[in-house]
Amino acid sequence: MTVMRDQVVRQLVQVEAKANDDGLIPGFNVLVNQLPCSFWNTVSERMMAITPPDRKAAMEAALVNCAYECGYHTGYGIITSPEFESVVMPMVTEGAKDVLRGAYAVFTAWGWAKSGIVQIKEGEAMTIRAVDYYEADSGGEGRRAYMIRGVSAAFMELAYAAPYPNGMNTFKSEQTRGIEAGDQFGEFAVTKK
Amino acid sequence: MALDIKHTFDENTFRHSINGHGFVLHCHHYMSLTTKLAEDFADLGAVRVLAEAAEDSLRPVLESYVKEHGITGPADRLAVACEYYSFMGLGKMTASGSAAGGEVQLPHSHVDEGWIQKWGKHDKPINHFTRGFVAAMFAVAFDKPARSFEVAETASLVMGAPLSVLSVKAA
Repeated sequence: MTVMRDQVVRQLVQVEAKANDDGLIPGFNVLVNQLPCSFWNTVSERMMAITPPDRKAAMEAALVNCAYECGYHTGYGIITSPEFESVVMPMVTEGAKDVLRGAYAVFTAWGWAKSGIVQIKEGEAMTIRAVDYYEADSGGEGRRAYMIRGVSAAFMELAYAAPYPNGMNTFKSEQTRGIEAGDQFGEFAVTKK
Repeated sequence: MALDIKHTFDENTFRHSINGHGFVLHCHHYMSLTTKLAEDFADLGAVRVLAEAAEDSLRPVLESYVKEHGITGPADRLAVACEYYSFMGLGKMTASGSAAGGEVQLPHSHVDEGWIQKWGKHDKPINHFTRGFVAAMFAVAFDKPARSFEVAETASLVMGAPLSVLSVKAA
Protein backbone atom coordinates (compact mmCIF):
# COMPACT_ATOMS: atom_id res chain seq x y z
CA MET A 1 0.00 0.00 0.00
CA THR A 2 1.07 3.55 -0.63
CA VAL A 3 -0.61 6.86 0.14
CA MET A 4 -3.97 7.03 -1.64
CA ARG A 5 -4.52 10.73 -2.23
CA ASP A 6 -8.26 10.76 -2.73
CA GLN A 7 -8.83 8.58 0.33
CA VAL A 8 -6.73 10.93 2.45
CA VAL A 9 -8.50 13.97 1.05
CA ARG A 10 -11.94 12.60 1.85
CA GLN A 11 -10.96 11.91 5.45
CA LEU A 12 -9.17 15.21 6.00
CA VAL A 13 -11.91 17.43 4.61
CA GLN A 14 -13.99 16.27 7.56
CA VAL A 15 -11.54 18.04 9.89
CA GLU A 16 -13.14 21.39 10.55
CA ALA A 17 -11.07 24.57 10.96
CA LYS A 18 -12.96 26.04 13.89
CA ALA A 19 -11.98 29.26 15.63
CA ASN A 20 -11.52 29.35 19.40
CA ASP A 21 -13.05 31.97 21.73
CA ASP A 22 -10.36 34.45 20.65
CA GLY A 23 -11.35 34.10 17.00
CA LEU A 24 -8.10 32.30 16.22
CA ILE A 25 -7.53 28.86 14.70
CA PRO A 26 -4.42 27.32 16.25
CA GLY A 27 -3.43 24.05 14.57
CA PHE A 28 -0.46 22.29 12.97
CA ASN A 29 1.88 24.50 15.07
CA VAL A 30 0.62 27.63 13.29
CA LEU A 31 -2.33 29.99 13.33
CA VAL A 32 -4.61 28.96 10.49
CA ASN A 33 -6.81 31.34 8.51
CA GLN A 34 -9.57 30.62 6.01
CA LEU A 35 -10.06 33.34 3.44
CA PRO A 36 -11.65 33.72 0.03
CA CYS A 37 -9.37 32.43 -2.74
CA SER A 38 -10.12 35.71 -4.49
CA PHE A 39 -8.20 37.59 -1.78
CA TRP A 40 -4.94 35.75 -2.41
CA ASN A 41 -5.40 35.93 -6.19
CA THR A 42 -6.21 39.64 -6.06
CA VAL A 43 -3.11 40.32 -3.98
CA SER A 44 -0.73 38.55 -6.37
CA GLU A 45 -2.43 39.93 -9.49
CA ARG A 46 -2.36 43.54 -8.29
CA MET A 47 1.14 43.30 -6.79
CA MET A 48 2.47 42.16 -10.16
CA ALA A 49 0.43 44.85 -11.94
CA ILE A 50 1.96 47.73 -9.94
CA THR A 51 5.51 46.45 -10.35
CA PRO A 52 7.67 48.01 -13.08
CA PRO A 53 9.46 45.63 -15.50
CA ASP A 54 12.85 45.98 -13.84
CA ARG A 55 11.43 44.78 -10.50
CA LYS A 56 9.05 42.05 -11.73
CA ALA A 57 11.52 39.27 -10.92
CA ALA A 58 11.94 40.55 -7.37
CA MET A 59 8.18 40.76 -6.83
CA GLU A 60 7.66 37.27 -8.28
CA ALA A 61 10.39 35.89 -6.00
CA ALA A 62 8.77 37.60 -3.00
CA LEU A 63 5.35 36.11 -3.83
CA VAL A 64 6.89 32.63 -4.17
CA ASN A 65 8.78 33.12 -0.91
CA CYS A 66 5.58 33.90 1.01
CA ALA A 67 4.32 30.40 0.16
CA TYR A 68 7.73 28.79 0.47
CA GLU A 69 8.19 29.77 4.13
CA CYS A 70 4.53 29.01 4.82
CA GLY A 71 4.91 25.59 3.21
CA TYR A 72 8.06 24.78 5.15
CA HIS A 73 6.72 25.62 8.59
CA THR A 74 3.10 24.62 8.10
CA GLY A 75 4.19 21.55 6.13
CA TYR A 76 6.25 20.42 9.09
CA GLY A 77 3.28 21.03 11.36
CA ILE A 78 1.12 18.97 9.03
CA ILE A 79 3.39 15.93 8.74
CA THR A 80 3.93 15.83 12.51
CA SER A 81 0.26 16.37 13.39
CA PRO A 82 -2.05 13.81 15.02
CA GLU A 83 -4.31 14.04 11.94
CA PHE A 84 -1.43 13.07 9.63
CA GLU A 85 -0.40 10.31 12.02
CA SER A 86 -3.85 8.78 12.09
CA VAL A 87 -4.91 9.26 8.45
CA VAL A 88 -1.74 9.17 6.36
CA MET A 89 0.94 7.28 8.28
CA PRO A 90 -0.87 3.92 8.19
CA MET A 91 -0.54 4.07 4.37
CA VAL A 92 3.15 4.99 4.38
CA THR A 93 5.20 2.07 3.09
CA GLU A 94 7.81 3.86 1.01
CA GLY A 95 9.41 6.20 3.55
CA ALA A 96 10.02 9.84 2.63
CA LYS A 97 8.43 9.43 -0.79
CA ASP A 98 5.14 8.40 0.78
CA VAL A 99 5.30 11.13 3.40
CA LEU A 100 5.66 13.56 0.49
CA ARG A 101 2.66 11.98 -1.25
CA GLY A 102 0.73 12.40 1.99
CA ALA A 103 1.75 16.05 2.23
CA TYR A 104 0.34 16.62 -1.26
CA ALA A 105 -2.86 14.89 -0.25
CA VAL A 106 -3.19 17.40 2.60
CA PHE A 107 -2.25 20.17 0.14
CA THR A 108 -5.19 19.01 -1.96
CA ALA A 109 -7.55 18.61 1.00
CA TRP A 110 -6.90 22.16 2.17
CA GLY A 111 -8.03 23.46 -1.23
CA TRP A 112 -4.66 24.64 -2.50
CA ALA A 113 -4.56 22.47 -5.64
CA LYS A 114 -5.79 19.12 -6.91
CA SER A 115 -2.28 17.93 -7.30
CA GLY A 116 0.15 15.09 -6.94
CA ILE A 117 3.63 13.84 -7.68
CA VAL A 118 4.05 12.50 -11.23
CA GLN A 119 7.80 11.87 -11.11
CA ILE A 120 10.37 11.76 -8.38
CA LYS A 121 14.08 11.10 -8.15
CA GLU A 122 14.51 10.72 -4.42
CA GLY A 123 16.50 13.50 -2.84
CA GLU A 124 17.18 15.09 -6.23
CA ALA A 125 14.15 16.21 -8.20
CA MET A 126 10.38 16.03 -8.38
CA THR A 127 7.63 16.95 -10.84
CA ILE A 128 4.23 18.01 -9.56
CA ARG A 129 1.11 18.18 -11.68
CA ALA A 130 -2.03 20.08 -10.69
CA VAL A 131 -5.21 19.58 -12.70
CA ASP A 132 -7.09 22.28 -10.81
CA TYR A 133 -5.90 25.09 -8.56
CA TYR A 134 -7.34 28.36 -7.38
CA GLU A 135 -4.39 30.40 -8.63
CA ALA A 136 -5.47 29.45 -12.17
CA ASP A 137 -8.35 31.92 -11.65
CA SER A 138 -6.03 34.88 -11.09
CA GLY A 139 -5.70 37.66 -13.63
CA GLY A 140 -2.44 38.74 -15.20
CA GLU A 141 0.06 37.41 -17.66
CA GLY A 142 2.16 34.27 -17.90
CA ARG A 143 2.38 31.44 -15.37
CA ARG A 144 1.43 32.72 -11.97
CA ALA A 145 0.91 29.85 -9.53
CA TYR A 146 3.37 31.40 -7.06
CA MET A 147 1.87 29.58 -4.10
CA ILE A 148 2.21 26.07 -5.54
CA ARG A 149 5.77 26.85 -6.62
CA GLY A 150 6.81 27.95 -3.17
CA VAL A 151 5.11 25.17 -1.25
CA SER A 152 6.51 22.50 -3.59
CA ALA A 153 10.11 23.49 -2.88
CA ALA A 154 9.33 23.53 0.83
CA PHE A 155 7.74 20.08 0.84
CA MET A 156 10.74 18.62 -1.01
CA GLU A 157 13.01 20.08 1.67
CA LEU A 158 10.91 18.58 4.44
CA ALA A 159 11.30 15.17 2.81
CA TYR A 160 14.92 15.23 1.68
CA ALA A 161 16.89 18.19 3.07
CA ALA A 162 18.45 18.53 6.54
CA PRO A 163 15.93 17.87 9.33
CA TYR A 164 13.54 20.69 10.22
CA PRO A 165 14.25 23.56 10.81
CA ASN A 166 17.66 23.40 9.11
CA GLY A 167 16.71 22.28 5.60
CA MET A 168 15.70 25.54 3.96
CA ASN A 169 17.24 26.86 0.73
CA THR A 170 18.11 23.39 -0.56
CA PHE A 171 15.62 23.11 -3.44
CA LYS A 172 14.07 25.47 -5.95
CA SER A 173 10.86 25.22 -7.90
CA GLU A 174 9.87 26.42 -11.36
CA GLN A 175 6.46 26.39 -13.00
CA THR A 176 6.71 24.78 -16.43
CA ARG A 177 3.01 24.73 -17.39
CA GLY A 178 -0.06 26.60 -16.22
CA ILE A 179 -3.81 26.39 -16.73
CA GLU A 180 -3.84 30.17 -16.39
CA ALA A 181 -1.43 30.34 -19.34
CA GLY A 182 -3.53 28.08 -21.58
CA ASP A 183 -2.13 24.64 -20.71
CA GLN A 184 -4.33 21.71 -19.72
CA PHE A 185 -2.72 21.46 -16.29
CA GLY A 186 -0.13 23.11 -14.12
CA GLU A 187 3.28 21.52 -13.79
CA PHE A 188 6.09 22.31 -11.38
CA ALA A 189 9.68 21.15 -11.49
CA VAL A 190 11.55 20.98 -8.18
CA THR A 191 15.32 20.61 -8.37
CA LYS A 192 18.33 21.07 -6.12
CA LYS A 193 19.71 24.60 -5.88
CA MET B 1 -25.24 36.06 16.62
CA ALA B 2 -24.22 32.71 15.16
CA LEU B 3 -23.40 32.68 11.48
CA ASP B 4 -25.23 30.38 9.12
CA ILE B 5 -22.31 28.58 7.45
CA LYS B 6 -22.72 26.23 4.50
CA HIS B 7 -19.40 24.56 3.72
CA THR B 8 -19.27 22.54 0.51
CA PHE B 9 -16.49 20.47 -1.01
CA ASP B 10 -16.47 19.85 -4.76
CA GLU B 11 -15.73 16.17 -5.34
CA ASN B 12 -14.44 16.90 -8.83
CA THR B 13 -12.17 19.91 -8.38
CA PHE B 14 -11.53 19.37 -4.66
CA ARG B 15 -12.26 23.02 -4.01
CA HIS B 16 -13.94 24.33 -0.86
CA SER B 17 -16.77 26.85 -0.79
CA ILE B 18 -18.29 28.66 2.14
CA ASN B 19 -21.72 30.15 1.55
CA GLY B 20 -21.05 30.02 -2.19
CA HIS B 21 -17.61 31.67 -2.17
CA GLY B 22 -14.37 29.79 -2.86
CA PHE B 23 -12.31 29.60 0.34
CA VAL B 24 -8.89 28.21 1.19
CA LEU B 25 -6.91 27.53 4.36
CA HIS B 26 -3.54 29.19 4.86
CA CYS B 27 -1.40 30.06 7.88
CA HIS B 28 0.05 33.02 9.74
CA HIS B 29 3.37 32.60 7.96
CA TYR B 30 1.65 33.24 4.64
CA MET B 31 -0.27 36.24 5.99
CA SER B 32 2.77 37.67 7.79
CA LEU B 33 5.00 37.31 4.74
CA THR B 34 2.35 38.84 2.50
CA THR B 35 2.13 41.78 4.90
CA LYS B 36 5.93 42.05 4.94
CA LEU B 37 5.96 41.94 1.13
CA ALA B 38 3.57 44.90 1.10
CA GLU B 39 5.88 46.79 3.47
CA ASP B 40 8.96 45.92 1.42
CA PHE B 41 7.37 47.22 -1.77
CA ALA B 42 5.66 50.19 -0.11
CA ASP B 43 7.30 52.57 -2.57
CA LEU B 44 5.16 50.95 -5.30
CA GLY B 45 1.93 51.38 -3.35
CA ALA B 46 1.85 47.75 -2.18
CA VAL B 47 0.45 48.59 1.28
CA ARG B 48 -2.55 50.23 -0.35
CA VAL B 49 -2.89 47.27 -2.72
CA LEU B 50 -3.04 44.82 0.18
CA ALA B 51 -5.73 46.81 2.01
CA GLU B 52 -7.78 47.29 -1.14
CA ALA B 53 -7.48 43.61 -2.08
CA ALA B 54 -8.95 42.76 1.33
CA GLU B 55 -11.73 45.32 0.89
CA ASP B 56 -12.63 44.14 -2.61
CA SER B 57 -12.48 40.40 -1.94
CA LEU B 58 -14.26 40.37 1.43
CA ARG B 59 -17.02 42.74 0.46
CA PRO B 60 -18.87 40.22 -1.78
CA VAL B 61 -18.73 37.65 1.03
CA LEU B 62 -20.29 40.01 3.57
CA GLU B 63 -22.71 41.58 1.12
CA SER B 64 -24.16 38.31 -0.15
CA TYR B 65 -24.58 37.04 3.41
CA VAL B 66 -26.57 40.03 4.70
CA LYS B 67 -28.70 40.16 1.55
CA GLU B 68 -29.49 36.45 1.55
CA HIS B 69 -30.41 36.59 5.23
CA GLY B 70 -32.42 39.81 5.00
CA ILE B 71 -30.17 41.66 7.44
CA THR B 72 -30.71 45.38 6.85
CA GLY B 73 -29.76 47.26 10.03
CA PRO B 74 -26.23 48.71 10.05
CA ALA B 75 -25.52 47.49 13.59
CA ASP B 76 -26.61 43.97 12.67
CA ARG B 77 -24.51 44.07 9.52
CA LEU B 78 -21.47 45.17 11.51
CA ALA B 79 -22.14 42.31 13.91
CA VAL B 80 -22.22 39.83 11.01
CA ALA B 81 -18.85 41.13 9.84
CA CYS B 82 -17.38 40.71 13.34
CA GLU B 83 -18.61 37.12 13.40
CA TYR B 84 -17.17 36.43 9.94
CA TYR B 85 -13.84 37.89 11.08
CA SER B 86 -13.66 35.32 13.88
CA PHE B 87 -14.99 32.50 11.71
CA MET B 88 -12.10 33.10 9.30
CA GLY B 89 -9.62 32.82 12.17
CA LEU B 90 -8.67 36.48 12.02
CA GLY B 91 -9.30 37.31 15.66
CA LYS B 92 -11.89 38.97 17.86
CA MET B 93 -13.53 42.19 16.74
CA THR B 94 -16.04 44.71 18.08
CA ALA B 95 -17.34 47.56 15.95
CA SER B 96 -19.63 50.54 16.26
CA GLY B 97 -20.34 53.57 14.15
CA SER B 98 -22.48 55.46 11.68
CA ALA B 99 -22.31 56.46 8.04
CA ALA B 100 -19.87 59.16 9.14
CA GLY B 101 -17.42 56.70 10.69
CA GLY B 102 -16.76 54.69 13.80
CA GLU B 103 -14.32 52.56 15.71
CA VAL B 104 -13.22 48.95 15.65
CA GLN B 105 -11.35 47.18 18.45
CA LEU B 106 -9.38 43.96 18.20
CA PRO B 107 -8.51 42.21 21.46
CA HIS B 108 -7.09 39.42 19.29
CA SER B 109 -5.70 39.58 15.77
CA HIS B 110 -4.33 36.82 13.52
CA VAL B 111 -2.27 39.37 11.60
CA ASP B 112 -0.65 40.91 14.69
CA GLU B 113 -0.27 37.75 16.75
CA GLY B 114 1.04 35.88 13.72
CA TRP B 115 3.61 38.61 13.10
CA ILE B 116 4.67 38.54 16.76
CA GLN B 117 5.03 34.74 16.67
CA LYS B 118 7.20 35.01 13.57
CA TRP B 119 9.29 38.12 14.20
CA GLY B 120 8.33 39.65 17.54
CA LYS B 121 6.93 43.11 18.14
CA HIS B 122 7.16 45.84 15.51
CA ASP B 123 7.58 49.61 15.65
CA LYS B 124 4.55 50.48 13.54
CA PRO B 125 1.08 49.08 12.78
CA ILE B 126 0.98 46.34 10.14
CA ASN B 127 -2.66 45.24 9.99
CA HIS B 128 -3.31 46.47 6.46
CA PHE B 129 -5.50 43.45 5.75
CA THR B 130 -7.91 44.42 8.52
CA ARG B 131 -8.00 48.06 7.44
CA GLY B 132 -9.37 46.76 4.14
CA PHE B 133 -11.76 44.37 5.85
CA VAL B 134 -13.11 47.20 8.02
CA ALA B 135 -13.57 49.45 4.99
CA ALA B 136 -15.62 46.64 3.40
CA MET B 137 -17.73 45.98 6.49
CA PHE B 138 -18.65 49.65 6.93
CA ALA B 139 -19.43 50.00 3.20
CA VAL B 140 -21.73 46.97 3.40
CA ALA B 141 -23.29 48.14 6.67
CA PHE B 142 -24.18 51.55 5.25
CA ASP B 143 -24.75 50.56 1.58
CA LYS B 144 -21.85 52.61 0.27
CA PRO B 145 -19.56 51.92 -2.70
CA ALA B 146 -15.97 50.76 -2.36
CA ARG B 147 -13.45 53.29 -0.97
CA SER B 148 -16.20 55.12 0.95
CA PHE B 149 -14.33 54.76 4.24
CA GLU B 150 -10.79 55.55 5.31
CA VAL B 151 -9.44 53.31 8.05
CA ALA B 152 -6.42 54.11 10.21
CA GLU B 153 -4.86 51.89 12.85
CA THR B 154 -4.39 54.09 15.92
CA ALA B 155 -3.27 51.42 18.40
CA SER B 156 -1.71 48.12 17.59
CA LEU B 157 -1.18 44.75 19.27
CA VAL B 158 2.02 44.29 17.28
CA MET B 159 3.44 47.42 18.95
CA GLY B 160 2.55 46.17 22.42
CA ALA B 161 -0.84 47.83 22.90
CA PRO B 162 -3.41 45.79 24.86
CA LEU B 163 -5.69 45.83 21.84
CA SER B 164 -5.66 47.16 18.30
CA VAL B 165 -7.91 50.10 17.52
CA LEU B 166 -8.98 51.12 14.03
CA SER B 167 -10.53 54.51 13.43
CA VAL B 168 -13.04 54.74 10.57
CA LYS B 169 -13.95 57.95 8.74
CA ALA B 170 -16.21 58.52 5.74
CA ALA B 171 -13.98 59.43 2.80
